[in-house]
Amino acid sequence: MKALILLSSLGVIALLAEIFSFKKLIYPIVLLGLVLAFILNMFDWDTNQLYFKMMQTDNYAIAFTSLIIVISFLWFIMAEGFFKEESNQSDHFALVLFALVGAVIMVSYTNMAMLFLGIEILSIPMYILAGSNKSDVLSNEAAFKYLIMGAFATGFLLFGITLIYGATGSFDLTEIATVVSTNTAISSIFYVGVLLMLIGMSFKVSAAPFHFWAPDVYQGAPTVITAFMATIVKTAAFAAFLKLFHTTFSSLGETWMHIVWVMAALTLLVGNITAAIQTSTKRMLAYSSVAHAGYMLLALLANNSFSNSAILFYATAYSIASIATFCIVSIVANAKGSDVVDSFNGLAKSNPLLAFVMTIALLSLAGIPPTAGFFAKYYIFTSAFTAGNAGLVLIAIIASLVGVYYYFRIIIAMFFKENTNNQPLEVTINHKLLLIVIAVAIILLGLFPESIISLL
Amino acid sequence: MIITYMFYLLSFLAIMFGLMVVLSKNPVHSVLYLVLTFFAIAGHYVLLNAQFLAAVHIIVYAGAIMVLFLYIIMMLNLNKEAEPHKSLWIKASAAVAAGSLLVVLVASIKGTVAITPSNEFNPNIGLIENLGQTLFKDYLLPFEVSSVLLLAAMVGAVMLAKKSIK
Repeated sequence: MKALILLSSLGVIALLAEIFSFKKLIYPIVLLGLVLAFILNMFDWDTNQLYFKMMQTDNYAIAFTSLIIVISFLWFIMAEGFFKEESNQSDHFALVLFALVGAVIMVSYTNMAMLFLGIEILSIPMYILAGSNKSDVLSNEAAFKYLIMGAFATGFLLFGITLIYGATGSFDLTEIATVVSTNTAISSIFYVGVLLMLIGMSFKVSAAPFHFWAPDVYQGAPTVITAFMATIVKTAAFAAFLKLFHTTFSSLGETWMHIVWVMAALTLLVGNITAAIQTSTKRMLAYSSVAHAGYMLLALLANNSFSNSAILFYATAYSIASIATFCIVSIVANAKGSDVVDSFNGLAKSNPLLAFVMTIALLSLAGIPPTAGFFAKYYIFTSAFTAGNAGLVLIAIIASLVGVYYYFRIIIAMFFKENTNNQPLEVTINHKLLLIVIAVAIILLGLFPESIISLL
Repeated sequence: MIITYMFYLLSFLAIMFGLMVVLSKNPVHSVLYLVLTFFAIAGHYVLLNAQFLAAVHIIVYAGAIMVLFLYIIMMLNLNKEAEPHKSLWIKASAAVAAGSLLVVLVASIKGTVAITPSNEFNPNIGLIENLGQTLFKDYLLPFEVSSVLLLAAMVGAVMLAKKSIK
């Protein structure tokens, strides 16, 4: 709640900066504000307060809110170039901060009305920011596609909420859960409601077969916005998804588990195999982000006490590694004019730091020890295995072998291929610091995974 | 009794006009049928004794949004049949997908046990006073939070519309 108020006010301050002309100061103010929001948020740990029966700051919500704030802090440092453009500076800041407000609501809602508002507050700035590169046709296409498909998915979500309201007479998660667990004969429209909400949420986390928007939108949007969508939006959407299906619909497991099983298998296979045949690294990372949604669906499906911490750790490991890869891809693509895999040829010689951090981040995404990604996958697989989904774990392991193949294509290009295009790379000091911090964090999380796993 | 007949009449009109929105070739006709659909739904609000919601519904949807729709269609000049031809596969898969959804919905409504509302229906629930009580007591936080949504949408619209100054 404190984080919510602080982030909303930061957004308004960013807008005021345009009027009172202190634009130069917004960037430091926002970074400071994020640090403050993180600290205030951590004060609520173990308090478990319920606000207006609409939002709850239990440890689950606080952990995910903190994760979102930390990732957005890293993201702001990565995206400094995005905020250099004079004319739209404060609009960009305000939209990103409002999107964060939506993300915070999505991880702490206890009412369907708040879930819907959170998703919309997160999505609408994203639709606009995806098209923020107005002169680029691809960016326009991305924004348009995202808006149309997103609105359609929201329609499914709302229809689902309506049917559930019709069957239970309540928007409140705990009340719905009580009705479901005490009533033996629930109205059959309730089940349709659950399915429609499942469709809406799967769209937001880009799980197959609702992933078709993701590659085009991720590729067309400016790279920094793609990084935002692949990390913060995905984390918030998964936290909301998990909260809904683990607290409210948990006792109806047999209704949705078969569907999620098929969706997880499809997402893993489609995401990984399609990523392997891409030439553009940005598009490859888009498909890989679809594939990572598949791994997280495994923990959702497990539906046991372990899945919350497994998803929290997976989201952490995946997000920080993604920030690093997107940062490096945007640096390389800016210098060479193209983001195909061949642009990375010989990067290890021309810029060892970038190549080193990229290698660590890609190893983490592929799930190779001693990086954070290994333990992330390990916990997810353990959680799925204890729930008795051994078949799905097998599919996930095969899929992650395909993943190793395409992540290593970039690593091989960086280390073993000759550079033909000797364009010097411009890396700012902030980006260098950010990349070093992320590389250290990935290794540290890989060495001490309990630090996060034991939180929930 | 007359209310039941009114309900069926309005539902029939809403569904028929809804179908006409989808089926009519001319986009301007589609929009006009949409206006009629909204009026039929506003009639349902009146039947539930929610006159304020009915008025707001007509003002916002039939008034503001429809005018915007018509204006955009006029600017786009969609009178010619410019729609690209869809392949048979896409049509077939769309029909199968939508048909499956229809089957699921119809089956679920058929299997519905008679819904007993958890609390007795209050005929005055739709009046403006009760609406205000609900909005500013139970749903105060969502009401406040939606201001962020509106502000974000407004900022975004301005950002997309304005020229970038070099």
